Amino acid sequence: MAMDDILKDIWDRVRKRHLFPELPSPKYGQGEPRVGLDIKGKQISISREFVEQMSLKLDQDDIVEGLLDHAVSHYLYCPWDLATHLKLYAEAKNVLKDKQMAQIATDYFMDIVADTHCVGQFDTPLTNLYRRLNKGRLDEVVHAVLQRIWGVDLGVVGHTDISRKLSRLPYLDRKYWTESIRRFAGAIQSFLENETKQGGEANSPNPMGRHTPGQYSSQEIEEGLMQLANEAATPDEFKEIVRDFETEILDATRLGEEAMGVGPGHSLDADILYYMKLAENYFIPIRKKPMQASGSLYPHHHIPWEIGHPYQDVDPWTSFGKFMPPITQTWQRREGEVFGREEGVPDCVLIIDSSGSMTNPRQELSYAVLGAACACDAYLRNDARVAIYNFSDVDAGGRKILPYSDNRRDIYRAICHYFGGGTRLRVENIETLQCDGMPDIFLITDMQITNLQLLIQYFNDCENRVTAVHVGDNKHVREFRRAMDLNPNVGIYAVEEKSDIPRIVLGKIRDFFY
Amino acid sequence: MRNPFQEFQTVSFKKKNLPLSRIVRAKQDVMAHILEGYLNLVEAEAKDFVWLVEQSRVLKTYSEAVKYVQSLNYDQDDIEEFCGELDGSTKVPYVIEGPAGIYVSALVNQLSDDRVVLRLKDYQKKFHLLGYRLPVGKTLILQGDIGDFTGTGLAGGCLVVEGSAGNWCGAGMMQGEIRVAGTAGWKTGEWMKAGEIHVEGWIRGVGQNILGGRIYEQGKLVSPQHRGSQ
Repeated sequence: MAMDDILKDIWDRVRKRHLFPELPSPKYGQGEPRVGLDIKGKQISISREFVEQMSLKLDQDDIVEGLLDHAVSHYLYCPWDLATHLKLYAEAKNVLKDKQMAQIATDYFMDIVADTHCVGQFDTPLTNLYRRLNKGRLDEVVHAVLQRIWGVDLGVVGHTDISRKLSRLPYLDRKYWTESIRRFAGAIQSFLENETKQGGEANSPNPMGRHTPGQYSSQEIEEGLMQLANEAATPDEFKEIVRDFETEILDATRLGEEAMGVGPGHSLDADILYYMKLAENYFIPIRKKPMQASGSLYPHHHIPWEIGHPYQDVDPWTSFGKFMPPITQTWQRREGEVFGREEGVPDCVLIIDSSGSMTNPRQELSYAVLGAACACDAYLRNDARVAIYNFSDVDAGGRKILPYSDNRRDIYRAICHYFGGGTRLRVENIETLQCDGMPDIFLITDMQITNLQLLIQYFNDCENRVTAVHVGDNKHVREFRRAMDLNPNVGIYAVEEKSDIPRIVLGKIRDFFY
Repeated sequence: MRNPFQEFQTVSFKKKNLPLSRIVRAKQDVMAHILEGYLNLVEAEAKDFVWLVEQSRVLKTYSEAVKYVQSLNYDQDDIEEFCGELDGSTKVPYVIEGPAGIYVSALVNQLSDDRVVLRLKDYQKKFHLLGYRLPVGKTLILQGDIGDFTGTGLAGGCLVVEGSAGNWCGAGMMQGEIRVAGTAGWKTGEWMKAGEIHVEGWIRGVGQNILGGRIYEQGKLVSPQHRGSQ
């Protein structure tokens, strides 16, 4: 039977065994003879050379079936998704402090978990495959562990201490995975260091293939990064992991995808990506508003038809079927008092304070930037545009103005910019961003603005809907709140922590009903 | 007529019992016993609210710890894992540094292995009083920086610190050898009676009251020659 037919037959069997996972049919690829598998965008590729070479030692069916079992177990059990994969990698990196070593340790750990799950659940030829694989020194260690925890002979002699130590880890208990990989990485550190000294993975690649973000679909990567951003305690934690996989993430998501914050000629800006992904976890509602009056006529009431009046307005239903003045009724049209377009979302001028009293978004999680990012996303989702006025001490040159744009990357770059100086703004700058259709204004600051009175005056004079968000509480905040108390156009919100952000309602106007 | 549900047959499924589950279960049982012993010890010690490093107090705690530990069947991986539990597990409701270190020392001293290696460098916590009363013929290798009172009352064993030691390193040691790859803190070798302390880095301060033994700093003898000059 041809190799392709064998693959098709075996895939049907493997799919059934694993309860029909949503994976495309695997194919043969031209890979390295020492590596059996490659997964890209959920597509499993089996190395033809590997199978041919291994078939001298093992039945071809068993090789293919074992490789497929292995690949499907990764998809169904460990790592399951990119967020888990990156989390495991981060733990390994914390221990090993080296990207390559952490990647190798993570790959081996995930292989042990996935294959142990598979061997524990099904009759699989994986054990036969492992027994006959060409083993590097690190493979020997891992296979010694597998030998111990599976209770089968994989032909490994020695490595008693390390295999005893590693066989204690609860590989099949998902809630201990992060703790387990820390201990796993620590235990194999000396072996990894030796391997790295002798040329690293290039000399003895993992025969079951490497695991990279490239194996996930772009949607899974988006979701994984979103989850990672949400779980990272600081932007640095997120950045460190993302930078390690920059190339793979860029490749996997394809250059030019706006949502990922990448584009032709750009590298991955991890700071911006962090806030982009974190903001996707929050949805801020926007109150829509009527956009414009139509001025069109609509039928208002009946009047008797007279000769000379147009026929098209005659209402046959109230005219008793007659065409005769004054029996025939015609519609009298009046100009509409309703608005022509339905409610919509206006553009937004976003004013963000990046003075020294605000958190530097590149060092710590800045609620101001996160709040601003969520607000921007809300307007962009509604097909509105956003203009940015990022200020510190404007008189000293501390300002960044982005004209109206719907480019998410440009907007994020403008809001993530940090000046760190004094706090003084110019209302003339805000005034230049006013446009037709009366944009909404979104202000986020700690209110420690030296010319706050001018801003208060401006908000009292303008008719825009203003959403003011203050980070922290101080006497300036109280002053602002007092001054805006009677202004129905201004909604004020406090943000002390992440959970306060979804409570913001953009464009909310007090005592105003549509 | 074809049964439309014939594809939905019951699939026979036999879950295999891998040795892994047995190994993990056994390990969990051992850890539960070690933790129980530690909690009992801490409960007894916590009655006085304050735990001071006094000779009589340390001795009493150690003998209590040995009593708990003697009946346990464990290996050095269990000790390392216990250190991990002390570092950040929810299973240990409270950690009192002194008794914790003494309990770990008791576990090491009661173990049949001659050579014990504890990898502590991945933990946030600094463990104190490790290597307390390490007996003759036993080598304890501690990987990572450790806290104060390391090798206190050393009883002939060989303590190797692959990192730095805190204050009072080798305090009151009776015999044996301490080798520190990094630095050592204040009062190094205070009240030591015999044995040797080798510190490859610098020593912040040698003890004022040294009764015997030798202390080397970066290969140079600093005590007894420099005794009293600190």
